[in-house]
Amino acid sequence: MPELSYREAVRDALATALRGDEDVFIMGEDIAEMGGSMGVTQGLLDEFGAERIRNTPISEMAIVGAGIGAAIAGMRPVVEIMYEDFLTLSLEQIVNQAAKHRYMSGGQITVPLTIRTQGGAGWSPGAQHAQQLEAWLVHVPGLKVVYPSTPTDVRGLLWSSIYDDNPVIFFEHRLLYPLKEEVPDELEGIPLGKARVVKEGTDVTVIAIGPLVHRTVAAAKEAEKDGISVEIVDPRTLQPLDEETLVESVKKTNRAVVAHEAVTRMGFGAEVTAVLQEQAFDWLDAPIERVGAKFAPLPFAPVMEQFVIPQPEDVLAAIRRTMGR
Amino acid sequence: MATEVKLPRLGQGMEAGTIVKWLKSEGDKVEKGEPLFEIDTDKVTQEVEADFSGTLLKIALESGEAPVGETIAWIGDEGEQVAAEAPGGDSAGEADRTEGSDAGEQADGGAPQSAEKPAQAPAREPDREEGREAAAQAAESQPAAERPVRDSGPRERARGNREVPPAELERSKNGGRIKASPLARRIARERGIDLSRLSGTGPDGRIVAEDVERAKAAPAAAPAAAPPGEVESVPLTNIRKTIARRLTEAWQAPVFQLTVSADMERADRLVARSRELNPDVRVTVTDVLAKISAQALMRHRDVNVQFSEDALLKHPSAHIGIAVAAPQGLVVPVVRGVERLSLPETANARGEAVGRARDGKLQRDDLEGGTFTISNLGMHGVEQFVAVLNPPQAAILAVGATEDRVVARDGEIVVRPTMTMTLTVDHRAVDGAAAADFLRTLKTFLEDPALAL
Repeated sequence: MPELSYREAVRDALATALRGDEDVFIMGEDIAEMGGSMGVTQGLLDEFGAERIRNTPISEMAIVGAGIGAAIAGMRPVVEIMYEDFLTLSLEQIVNQAAKHRYMSGGQITVPLTIRTQGGAGWSPGAQHAQQLEAWLVHVPGLKVVYPSTPTDVRGLLWSSIYDDNPVIFFEHRLLYPLKEEVPDELEGIPLGKARVVKEGTDVTVIAIGPLVHRTVAAAKEAEKDGISVEIVDPRTLQPLDEETLVESVKKTNRAVVAHEAVTRMGFGAEVTAVLQEQAFDWLDAPIERVGAKFAPLPFAPVMEQFVIPQPEDVLAAIRRTMGR
Repeated sequence: MATEVKLPRLGQGMEAGTIVKWLKSEGDKVEKGEPLFEIDTDKVTQEVEADFSGTLLKIALESGEAPVGETIAWIGDEGEQVAAEAPGGDSAGEADRTEGSDAGEQADGGAPQSAEKPAQAPAREPDREEGREAAAQAAESQPAAERPVRDSGPRERARGNREVPPAELERSKNGGRIKASPLARRIARERGIDLSRLSGTGPDGRIVAEDVERAKAAPAAAPAAAPPGEVESVPLTNIRKTIARRLTEAWQAPVFQLTVSADMERADRLVARSRELNPDVRVTVTDVLAKISAQALMRHRDVNVQFSEDALLKHPSAHIGIAVAAPQGLVVPVVRGVERLSLPETANARGEAVGRARDGKLQRDDLEGGTFTISNLGMHGVEQFVAVLNPPQAAILAVGATEDRVVARDGEIVVRPTMTMTLTVDHRAVDGAAAADFLRTLKTFLEDPALAL
């Protein structure tokens, strides 16, 4: 099995789709010669040419709008928003156009557009380049929202996103790009809406997304030393959410922690918490704990930034609280 | 057609009651007028009779507190199903009608007259905490072995307490709420374990599933006596709470006390003669006191009063309350119209009321409407004491022991059976001289009961 980094896995999914399907093309700021600000699309221009690997002006509204138009016209565009912080500039197109056309046309129009973006803190990008805004998009009916945490998942889920007939917002995390993992020889699509049990356990379920999956793995190792068996579930797709897998896990362990890098207030974890108490109330032996960033803009100073974003120790503390320890 | 049994209102101002126990089980035949359950109100524990005949189909509230009007059981035809309806969801009449029509639509129409028989009707959207409990039970289609005690009140933090108090104690601190996780509650419900007997080992004393599991493993380890040296905490019963509340209220009244001693020779002889003449009736000093007090009150109507916000209520009849040390606490059953009763009649009425008090069977009527109270601690050897007023009554008589005392009489030192009594008077209602006059009459009658005729 080949070993791929998260960055290479994204590139592999894009290249495979570009190779096999003339309808697929990609657009974004500096994605061609430069290969994107994170180097994800390096080398694609050489293989596929400027017609299919297109640089755009610095206008997120235009990038997404052009993608929507192409998708409606029958293409399967993948557009890149350099930082998810800048999704805010394209929200009109995403929320009012991409998410609505299929519904408002009675299904006559579909928007098979994939919007890739990346973000996240931990490398001092500052308050305007480090946010985690996935909850904003999960809140809008008509969109699918994906947030993979591993090379295997990012490859398989990006593939499925490209071939989904709905607009998909595809979140990547800056710190995950170098993460390496052996991946299957053949690219296989991973269905959207299926969670993955990262690690089985019996005492408490941690539902984590993005980098918090890995911080939870570290926290779980510490917890095991105290005899606490942690089950880790990564929903991978935030919308639609695999409620069944999450609820089943919590019914087994009777305790739950939700963890993400975004602020807890109105975060994705709040929604998961609501789902769990609705569907597993009688199985809960402790209040559901939430782990997330402190409710503050992200500081530039590294030590301050680390203080604001959730660390493995924060996940561990939450695990312990659910255990009454 | 199943009929709902609702928590009855047993007196003015009653808003909630606590089911102590059911005298019938699910499936039992019930005749109209038969005692159905026992209820603890803020004043009494009393039996409540069935209002209609049939089979007790389902008990919704096995024990614990509920507001007046809440559905606590269903009575209907044998074998009939009742909806797993959330008790308390519909205490209003209109809600009942709505429910009836809902149920009718959902009925499977198996039996005639079953319009309100929602066999396997899905639980309606419950809108209260208890509703969710009930709905969860219905969803699991498990019988409600034991409903957890009603939850209410805010959570309260009790951090840093290393001793783990029983939930009952926690509950008294938390405004009636037992802190337990949903899972712990479910396991307890399924296994019929009473959460109030468990100690919580979770954060802030929360009962967690493990605590319930342990309770199942060691069922005998119930409410063990506190080890020596530890404080035992006994939660307040409704009666205890009422005593505390009412006596605290009473303490706010401006009172004064008057004390006199009476020669009890003739009163004692009267008791003895009455018993001789009528051995079936056990006349006591308390009865003589009650009767004589009634006679004295009729001559001093300004003492037989109740103080109210804007008027003094002068009562035409002497309803004498007798303070009784019942097992569950102090109660004051009232003997009515004592001025019209003979001494044996007084003794009979007093005996019955005290008996009901000791058996915890007092009815609400037994406790209401008193105009004067007698508290007798003479049998305990108390020489004299001061009683706390029993509002809205204006006076209470504290009676000590009759004992031989050296007294001066006609210049001689003699030994006489003497009793000291102290009258506590609400000064808002009665002035000192009026009370003193009354007390003198009482003393005179006691020393020469014939004068009371």
